[in-house]
Amino acid sequence: MPETPEFWALAPTELAPSDDPIVRFLTEIEKVSGTTVRLDPTELVGEITTQLAAVGAHRVALTADLGDARPLIAEALGSAGYEVSDYELIADDREVVRMLDATVTGCLAGVAATGSIVTGGAAGRGGALVAPTHICVVEERRVVDGLATLMRLAPHLGAGSMMALQTGPSRTADIEKTLIIGVHGPKRVHVVLLEGVLTG
Amino acid sequence: MSTDPLTESTFAERSRAQLAKPFLRQAVPRATDKAVNDLRARFVYHDYDGLREMGREIRARTISNLDIYLDQFADALAANGVHVHRAADAAEAREHIQRICREVGATRVVKVKSMATEEIELNPALAADGLQITETDLGEYVVQLDGDKPSHIIAPIIHKTRGEIRETLSRVAGRELPDDASELTGFARETLRDAFMDADVGISGANFGVADSGTVVLVTNEGNGRMCTAMPRVHISLMGIERVIPRLDDLAVMLPLITGAGTGQLITSYVTMLSGPRQEGEPDGPESMHVVLLDNGRRALLGTAFQDVLHCIRCGACQNVCPVYRQVGGHAYGWVYGGPIGAVLTPLFRGQAAGGELPQASTLCGACDDICPVKIPLHDLLLRLRQQRADVGAAPWRERMAADLWAWAWSSPVRYRVVTRVSGTVVRVASGLGLVGRLGPVGVWARGRALPMLARRPFHTRRDHDA
Repeated sequence: MPETPEFWALAPTELAPSDDPIVRFLTEIEKVSGTTVRLDPTELVGEITTQLAAVGAHRVALTADLGDARPLIAEALGSAGYEVSDYELIADDREVVRMLDATVTGCLAGVAATGSIVTGGAAGRGGALVAPTHICVVEERRVVDGLATLMRLAPHLGAGSMMALQTGPSRTADIEKTLIIGVHGPKRVHVVLLEGVLTG
Repeated sequence: MSTDPLTESTFAERSRAQLAKPFLRQAVPRATDKAVNDLRARFVYHDYDGLREMGREIRARTISNLDIYLDQFADALAANGVHVHRAADAAEAREHIQRICREVGATRVVKVKSMATEEIELNPALAADGLQITETDLGEYVVQLDGDKPSHIIAPIIHKTRGEIRETLSRVAGRELPDDASELTGFARETLRDAFMDADVGISGANFGVADSGTVVLVTNEGNGRMCTAMPRVHISLMGIERVIPRLDDLAVMLPLITGAGTGQLITSYVTMLSGPRQEGEPDGPESMHVVLLDNGRRALLGTAFQDVLHCIRCGACQNVCPVYRQVGGHAYGWVYGGPIGAVLTPLFRGQAAGGELPQASTLCGACDDICPVKIPLHDLLLRLRQQRADVGAAPWRERMAADLWAWAWSSPVRYRVVTRVSGTVVRVASGLGLVGRLGPVGVWARGRALPMLARRPFHTRRDHDA
């Protein structure tokens, strides 16, 4: 079963012993048209502001899985002129949700071998999905090796009613196999990998 | 209900119509080659065969103990606050879904691509109830707008050109859209966004149902699977009973198999694991979640020579490599499932009388066996279905006559010698006169095939010359 030591030799969704999890995680995200940056927690707010400015975002929602860092980010974005909301406070208002330019979320886990970020219903099903730009903050300690580890941990992550793996931006190849990025989910997925923990 | 190509036309008629479309014969091999090449590339440094053996083992164990896992799944769903409904056939499944929609006062429904909902012909039933249904997978959306049918399990509009898709979407837009895949997708995104936000009910299939955690798993790329299960206030998942797997851990095997075999991706953009409705304190999600477990002929296959077909995870890989499917496309098969898996499922679900000729539409080359991520012996099943068709007398009289004559002639040395001599001469003369088509059963067989010339002297009379 997945626990056998050689499972990584069978499944490309597992980490080989020679792989560095962090390097592999960032590489896989970029392979599927996501963008990444690795930085110190003190640089987080600056990075988010830069990214939002780069895509011309104005209306931004923050999900609860940013934890204690959320008020800090909200304050910084607010004073920089962004229209910032906590996702759970606007989730019921479809028109407001629809007009979002970007969402910033935390995550439950990152999967190194696949470049997936894992979010949960507890922080909202739509938060990471509805806006054209999604910035996801991943603490290094949350990066797990592969799908086998993730599935073993899944019941203990506090995901709530939904656990979703999200790998790069939304895509389709339905029209003559032409790859198009950005269908119903976000067009841009930017992963901020924190060399430390999210704190207030 | 609507027209039924399977009973109203023959495979030969349908494939002739498909073969007349030059685009189809270019597009299908091109698209399917890409999927197959990507799969091979994905596993260059990994053991696909070893992984699919694990997949086969999981599926075989599940199907051999289906009731145990199904009950466990239903109990776990119920514990998660999900309403579970069991449907013996398509009509019951439709009734469950129609009733739920009525009870919640729904007017608008959004759908995630699902072969099970195609199988039970759900959309016409819901439309008859006055519901507005929107397919939200880009391909299925185009299929719906055109009143067409999907022609591939995971690439529904593989048979359509960009020009045709542009025409369809331009009709909806009320203006000429540019001939650009990105622009066309952008238009669909905006239009479907309204549908997501306004829908009362989201209907999905299920790629897997996890028994130990009570989880419905959706594997998608566009994000519509997540939208349909995040925005509407009710989520209904229609799942074939065979799609259950025992444990969450099994996903570590099944996910790389389904995404690898399906599209050659390491993992799809979205894997959504749904374990119940919105919980207390969660910002969004449906107020209620229903799972409809669909039998519709599946349970009847347990314990038969065809049980292994229940291992199928609907990845479409067997279609991609099938030399017949690659020429004629999915519509030639006449029902929901095309390619080798369709040629097996259709006669089993629809009966020998309606679908019995489909297993003939195979070269028995075994390419499907070699690529199947759960090692279903598809070509054995195709052979068994041919056998069954002969046993129940469903084969056409000419075919039966030919086989009977052949058996009679070759069961005695004298008759064998006479027949080989005579038939050699007849075929040579008929072929010289261009009359092969008139040779009864041989003529039927020779239609669309090159009939090899029989040797002037049968092999068994040549021994002295070889010495």
